[in-house]
Amino acid sequence: MTVDKVIVTNRSALQSKYSTGLQRIDEALRNLIAADKKRGVTTLLVAIDSATDMKAVKGSAVTQPKDERKVKAAIDAVYTAYTPDYLMVLGAPDVVPMQTLRNPARGDGDDKVPSDLPYACSAPYSTQPSAFLGPTRVVGRLPDLVGGSDPAYLVGLLGTAARYRTRASDEYQHYFGLSAQVWQASTALSLSNIFGNSSAMHTTPPGGPRWPDAQLALRAHFINCHGAPSAPEYYGQPPGKEEYPVAHEAKRLKRKVSNGTVIAAECCYGAQLYDPKDSGGQAGICSTYLADGAYGFFGSTTIAYGPSEGNGQADLICQFFLDAVLAGASLGRAALEARQRFAALYTHLDPTDLKTLAQFYLLGDPSIHPVASVPHALSRTKTFKSAFKQAKTTPGARAFRRERLARTGTNLQQSLGAAKPSRARSPAYVSRVLNAAAKESRITEIGRQSYTVSFPRDASAGGMKRFAATRRARSVYALLGERTTADKVKRVVMLVATVQDGAIVHMRRVHSR
Amino acid sequence: MSFLGQVVRKRVSVGSKSEHEALVLITASGDEYKLRRQGGNPFRDPELDGLEGKRIECEGIVRDGQLIMSRWSVLS
Repeated sequence: MTVDKVIVTNRSALQSKYSTGLQRIDEALRNLIAADKKRGVTTLLVAIDSATDMKAVKGSAVTQPKDERKVKAAIDAVYTAYTPDYLMVLGAPDVVPMQTLRNPARGDGDDKVPSDLPYACSAPYSTQPSAFLGPTRVVGRLPDLVGGSDPAYLVGLLGTAARYRTRASDEYQHYFGLSAQVWQASTALSLSNIFGNSSAMHTTPPGGPRWPDAQLALRAHFINCHGAPSAPEYYGQPPGKEEYPVAHEAKRLKRKVSNGTVIAAECCYGAQLYDPKDSGGQAGICSTYLADGAYGFFGSTTIAYGPSEGNGQADLICQFFLDAVLAGASLGRAALEARQRFAALYTHLDPTDLKTLAQFYLLGDPSIHPVASVPHALSRTKTFKSAFKQAKTTPGARAFRRERLARTGTNLQQSLGAAKPSRARSPAYVSRVLNAAAKESRITEIGRQSYTVSFPRDASAGGMKRFAATRRARSVYALLGERTTADKVKRVVMLVATVQDGAIVHMRRVHSR
Repeated sequence: MSFLGQVVRKRVSVGSKSEHEALVLITASGDEYKLRRQGGNPFRDPELDGLEGKRIECEGIVRDGQLIMSRWSVLS
């Protein structure tokens, strides 16, 4: 049997949360599988805690739901056996855990980075984010509520996925764009890149959090605000002030979100799944969007990064996601393409790039196509229609796309370098330059960090041989400092020097946002 | 859980999109927690400003390095 889509979950974990309510979830799953079948998608439900299901894929059943190593191995076994075009993780992290990765941007306040990126990669279990540079799988997570006991939430999300419909692209051209005022230039650039204009952008302050219903009802949302752990709000900020007014609130989204809405949120912790009990019973913004009929939410589990001006890190990966959705990709393919496009921008990923790749993920059924792609003219001819009856072109074309994505991800895994923490002190000539740059920029030093850049063993073969020697001697040194702006607000600045072959080959100044 | 320590103001989430000044509780064992009031603004909460420089005892939950306080009292 050819399987197009696999739903992986842990039934015993669901059972312990919902007891007899699991029957309602089972019914909703049957409805989704039936709806998928009508769309020509063969879907299989696999319980990673089932000995029978796991024996069928030559894997081991997960006996402890939180055993991340076993869960990763189980999902890899499922993927290898069925090679589905879509892999949907069903449940919040207390059903199917995220993989806990080490934080490559150490010192930023996050101990670890919970991540679904490893499920999108064929590389085996690791806690090192640099082990997962080449995602090849189309993956999304349809979550329930952390700590939940009422199946209604998950049943609702499964119903939304079962009843989804693809809409014309013009229904996604009018957007709700929201930015912290301090980042409006960067957000405007992002919106222009995605939608061709930024004229509809809102900022906090002065706006928010009472957005007009007509704005919230738009189907494409792009949000660049502050966020915090276990918080059901996003926050704005005026330039040059330590003020953080509420920009967006989960409680104001109920019955305001249109069916089919797709959201990309750059915010720190913007897509964190937390127990609503931690915030007075209010689920997070991402969970609330999905409950209200949104199809997909792309966001971060932890503290995110972006440059003070222009675009970088979180700006880019969110843009790439919405770009692909608007072009007609499934939500899962859009998430994979966003990861791949982001990683492919660089020769090697520095610590904040690496964290960006690991922390952003898709909430939603990955097989949903929110936006119709524009068919080529040939597909409207009689000959074409006759030759490809029963919509057989769709899976065929999808197979080519999956092949391309697998090739791209494999190439990234085999060729991309990543910065790894090092205890080495920066060479004297690097220290002199960093010190001088800090002095010129009136930066008071807080600390220094060193990294070595390592590449996969085969990354310097063939045409890449000529770079092998310089790559071996590539390091990154960062000076973290503080600078007081003209309006007397302290800002942290990071001076980053990339050293290669005994010389500084690149320097940049990364401002906090 | 209960916590005891000194409240200082410092920059947190350094270098990230959400870097900001915050009140941080430093315990006797050296653990640091960004302070936040249940239901309060996690970035700037005027109700907590008076705790700067004080030694406090508080109750709350720790989530991702933040101590979300449900109760606190100033010791000195």
